[in-house]
Amino acid sequence: MSIKILKPGICSTIQDLGRTGYRSLGIGPGGAMDFFAATTANYLAGNDEQQPVIEMHFPAATICFKSNSLISIAGANFDAHINEVPVEMYQPLFVEKNAVLSFKKNISGARVYLAIHKGMEVEKWLGSYSTHLKITAGGYKGRLLQKDDIISINTIAYEFNRKKIKISPAVLETLYKKQSAMRCIAGPQWHLLHADSEKRMLQSALTISNQSDRMGYRLTGENCYLQTTVELISAPVTVGTVQLLPDGQLIILMADHQTTGGYPNIATVIAADLPRLSQLPVNSQLHFQLVSLQHAEEMLLSIHQLLSEIKTGCQNFYEKH
Amino acid sequence: MAAASSLNLVNKVLIISTTEFHIVPLSESALLFSYGNTIDTIINEKIMALHDKLSTKSFPGFIESAPAYASLAVYYNPVFIKQQYPDVFTVFAFVQNIIESFAKEIDHTTSFKNKPIKTVPVYYKGEDLEWVASLHQLTTTEVIQLHSGVIYHVFMNGFLPGFAYMGTVNEKIITARKDKPRLMVAAGSVGIAGAQTGIYPTDSPGGWQIIGTTPLQLFNKTKKDPCLIKAGDQVQFFAIDKNEFDKLNEY
Repeated sequence: MSIKILKPGICSTIQDLGRTGYRSLGIGPGGAMDFFAATTANYLAGNDEQQPVIEMHFPAATICFKSNSLISIAGANFDAHINEVPVEMYQPLFVEKNAVLSFKKNISGARVYLAIHKGMEVEKWLGSYSTHLKITAGGYKGRLLQKDDIISINTIAYEFNRKKIKISPAVLETLYKKQSAMRCIAGPQWHLLHADSEKRMLQSALTISNQSDRMGYRLTGENCYLQTTVELISAPVTVGTVQLLPDGQLIILMADHQTTGGYPNIATVIAADLPRLSQLPVNSQLHFQLVSLQHAEEMLLSIHQLLSEIKTGCQNFYEKH
Repeated sequence: MAAASSLNLVNKVLIISTTEFHIVPLSESALLFSYGNTIDTIINEKIMALHDKLSTKSFPGFIESAPAYASLAVYYNPVFIKQQYPDVFTVFAFVQNIIESFAKEIDHTTSFKNKPIKTVPVYYKGEDLEWVASLHQLTTTEVIQLHSGVIYHVFMNGFLPGFAYMGTVNEKIITARKDKPRLMVAAGSVGIAGAQTGIYPTDSPGGWQIIGTTPLQLFNKTKKDPCLIKAGDQVQFFAIDKNEFDKLNEY
């Protein structure tokens, strides 16, 4: 039982929810950029949140299933097809032996996730399946998927005849709705921002530049300045950290960020907005909206509440089948 | 020697009495415990002591902590904490209280000076060695002697997996980073950046002034404990020649 990569796509990797416990050694968490889509894909495929998934960008991979499988697709809408027939996302999909999954068109979003029932046989490194490209460890040989790669899977698939389960579009709409505001909390150096720059950060639109990847989103817009220049020593950072670079531009650190940084730490995008941020393609615009820490915590709790409802719904569905 | 150690003691007392920590949120699932913007061994020892304390006695919802020069990030699971303690106003305030009380309990008397010294062989023939020497009007031999004549304190790991920030180098060889970083610095390269010294654990772009190469592997992904040099370690370099380098080469 396996899947075969017919076309690799531009940046297809194995990810899970990231690697914790090694930041003190300089090893960052990595993991799926859109934790909500990756987790939902797993639940819909009848897995828990720990299973590895395939994260793909556009153009995405073309994948052949060498045995009957049960899968689900979540995240970006890249016009998924199975055997040249369009298929719906956010629901369990039964695929027959030799079925080919392909993605035809970049409709919306930036990253799509493929989960496979009972997961894949890939390398767990330091407790996580996430691919660490720099160290070439974890996931599939620690690297991007390539043509002709064969990944063993554990599916014992069966077809559904009964009512299907599907995530309601209204739920996704709330989470991913098109709006440019990215909520953030003030960072340790927010108070050092020049008053004009503070205003600019919250009011003017910033563009996600094409120098953006899984490590970080570089933003272009009007320059920001601090009240006085400071030379900072390296300090820990985290996913969502917004740093002010020496050229006056901002960068948002994403999943594959370094563990420490020496640039002023201006703000942090709240976790509840990271799925939406992760689905913004290059050249999208955004602006920052300052919220309280309490709000950030409440939003994170509500997104986890939603995930736990989806989990329960999926578990109930699979128990009946 | 006696004068120097009493001076250290004075410094230590002064620093402890004048330096207060502060705690700020880093995100909704991490906070930053910080003594400010200082590179100082005593401060770093306090950071490491808190880091070590958290690894032995943590709190519900604790995920991990990561030390830097004068700060420690504490990562936690707010969902778990809120489930356990539904009455907390903010999870941040809850964790902040715990970290504050832990910080007050820290035993400042344990010094990393007592840790065994890790010795690291270096073949001093880096691309920037001659430039560093000429900048400071020294011979390359003098640069080597000054660089290897000090026991360095490892302040933190960061930048790359297993990259250790060590210091401080003798003031005669303090050298700013290169104006233009190199696109590729080879794994094992030993460099200087300001008063810091460090070793590249993997091939990487980088702007440190490269004065030599170690044959030792700093990072081995196949090991359970993949890093050779970690925050809190004491490190001393010693010069080797090309033959010894080839014999010891782990790459």
